[in-house]
Amino acid sequence: MCQRYGMSLLAVLVVIGCGGGQPQDAAAKTDRTASPEPAMHLAQAPAQAQPASGGGSAAVNVTVQFEGAAPARTKIKMDADPVCRQQPAAAMESEEVVVNSNGTLKNVFVYVKDGATGTFPTPSTPATLEQSGCWYRPHVFGLQVNQPLDIVNSDATLHNINAKPTTNTPFNIAQPVKGMKTTKKFAKPEVMVKFKCNVHPWMSAYAAVLTHPFFGVSDEQGAAAVIGLPAGTYTLEAWHETYGTQTQTVTVADGETKSVAFTFTAQ
Amino acid sequence: MTCRLSRHLIVGVAALVFWVGARPVSAAERPARDLAAGKAAYEQSCARCHGVDGRGDGVDAKRFYPRPRDLTMGVYKFRSTASGTPPTDEDVFQTITRGLPGSNMPDWQHLSEETRWQLVEYLKSLSPVFDQTAPEPVPIADEPGPARADLAKGKALYTQLGCALCHGAQGRANGPSAATLVDDWGKPIRPSNLTQGWNYRGWSASRDVMLRVLTGIDGAGMPSYTGAVSPEDAWQLAYYVASLHEPPHEHRIARAAHVTGALPQTVDDPAWAAAESTLVRLRNAVSSDGEWVDPPTVSAVSFQVLANEDIMVLRVSWDDPSEDNADALTLLLKPEATRGDVVTLHAWPYHGAPRLDVSYWSAGRAEAFELLASTFEDAVERRGASVVLASAAVYDDGRWRLVLQRPLQPAFPAGAAVITPELFAPFAFAVWDGGKPGARAVSPWVDVALGPVQPHSE
Repeated sequence: MCQRYGMSLLAVLVVIGCGGGQPQDAAAKTDRTASPEPAMHLAQAPAQAQPASGGGSAAVNVTVQFEGAAPARTKIKMDADPVCRQQPAAAMESEEVVVNSNGTLKNVFVYVKDGATGTFPTPSTPATLEQSGCWYRPHVFGLQVNQPLDIVNSDATLHNINAKPTTNTPFNIAQPVKGMKTTKKFAKPEVMVKFKCNVHPWMSAYAAVLTHPFFGVSDEQGAAAVIGLPAGTYTLEAWHETYGTQTQTVTVADGETKSVAFTFTAQ
Repeated sequence: MTCRLSRHLIVGVAALVFWVGARPVSAAERPARDLAAGKAAYEQSCARCHGVDGRGDGVDAKRFYPRPRDLTMGVYKFRSTASGTPPTDEDVFQTITRGLPGSNMPDWQHLSEETRWQLVEYLKSLSPVFDQTAPEPVPIADEPGPARADLAKGKALYTQLGCALCHGAQGRANGPSAATLVDDWGKPIRPSNLTQGWNYRGWSASRDVMLRVLTGIDGAGMPSYTGAVSPEDAWQLAYYVASLHEPPHEHRIARAAHVTGALPQTVDDPAWAAAESTLVRLRNAVSSDGEWVDPPTVSAVSFQVLANEDIMVLRVSWDDPSEDNADALTLLLKPEATRGDVVTLHAWPYHGAPRLDVSYWSAGRAEAFELLASTFEDAVERRGASVVLASAAVYDDGRWRLVLQRPLQPAFPAGAAVITPELFAPFAFAVWDGGKPGARAVSPWVDVALGPVQPHSE
């Protein structure tokens, strides 16, 4: 219902109606047709889930290069769990550093750290964190403050989701049964919230909770896109779980798409 | 002053009468908040372990497993509230009042109830969590009562909910994930051995277990099962967990029976059924730098003794989550001349300490042996004269069972301890979990009386 109004009115509605800790369920029911739902494709980061919600027409295409020798991915021993150990060998490699075949770095979270002004609607489309093949999918993702996060267990084994935010309220919940879904929200912005599974200590995921939709995660090509930006000057930060953060400033005009490259170096 | 004292006395007596298990004290009895009083009590009673500022870094903290909590983080293990939300005041009051079994956190019932409430207030002031997040009590069901316990259902839940992944199929803390667990501070931790009800940090009444299932144990690996199991079923799971408890027979005097004829040679000999079993708790020796690397894994041994005129046979069992060639156990005895020495094995060997009679068994060695040892390492490395002993051992699902034979009056090694029927003999045990070669758990001395015991000795 909110979506039928203009952006500014929407912002006001969000502040008045949907904000202040009100549940988003009403919006969730009426919003479904308003946007396509790539968020349901679990392998994709929710960054691409709300392509138009930023309200602007500028974009930044980010490439994350990797320099130096790529560290070997550690083989994970999954023997202890009869479900996990059925994974193909290729799926038993650590995810801390994944260097793509084209020399780029995967799983880098790229987002507007400074410069996004105004209020942005809270998406009612949930972000999804799936436990599949004894890994978290996606490994790195973003979502907005108070956006629902569906946590799903697609494995026929016990997973626990131990979320360790420092600003938001932490939780540690069990999902013993395949198909279980738990919906959570984070009420405050925080980069990053770490998730881990105590039962399977190799499993970890990172979620950035932002007030806006201007974020992306580098893929198998090392590419991440920040889209829907209003014209302006922004500080972009690139975050990697092992190599830390880098920032760059970028200025875009309406309708403009700029390219930005980050380079992380082997330690 | 007299008035105040008597009021405290009344409150104290009332608390004693009123205090039953998990029952919280109603808020109406709480004194007005007095942070200065809470701080004074904290500095007196808590700071030594939890640190002056509450950061869990007191002078003794590193020697402890589990570590004292960092109270500034506001992460509390034992709650009635949803995972991630702070405990209720009553939860904190209860933890202070009851203490945490199997840890260095004692109960504080000798402090007045008023002081304990002031401590609750002070602890809350140490963390911003209590201002930022409200406790959210988890939905619980009324206790169905043991008469409505459905152990088959509880067992099915135990399997379905994945409890065995950490706690093990029979609850012996030997699940496949048990050895890989770390707490929120990155320190290795171990799941609870569910057969040892006396050793649950959060107490083992069914209500306690039901709450642990629904709330999880924040900071440790145990997740909240709220949403994954109904509050009603959480009770059934708790009843099943209670059925795993093995009663701890902690006798002040362990009685050893005489048998005529052949002594049992195996762990499954039916003769053991008639022998009294005694449980002794172990404590881990701290590593030389005084800091835990690995959590202790062996908490207790149970032993039985049968003897004929010449030989005694012990059956010893202990839970060790992993089978390893370096798993080992020693029976320690005091030679005649040293009966008054070596008050505790934690302090042995000290300068000028006497040698002890050590019967040593290890999973990776062909045979057990006996020797007089100056240090534990003597036994492990088998220095000096020793005598081969008969033994048999079985490892099954997280539990060692060992039969060890020893002469009552060995002719060799010279100076060996002599067991005389009808006289007390102090026994002690040391256990090594092979997964952690440096870690050694030792028991206190237990008096063993060999021979018939008068049924009405008073």
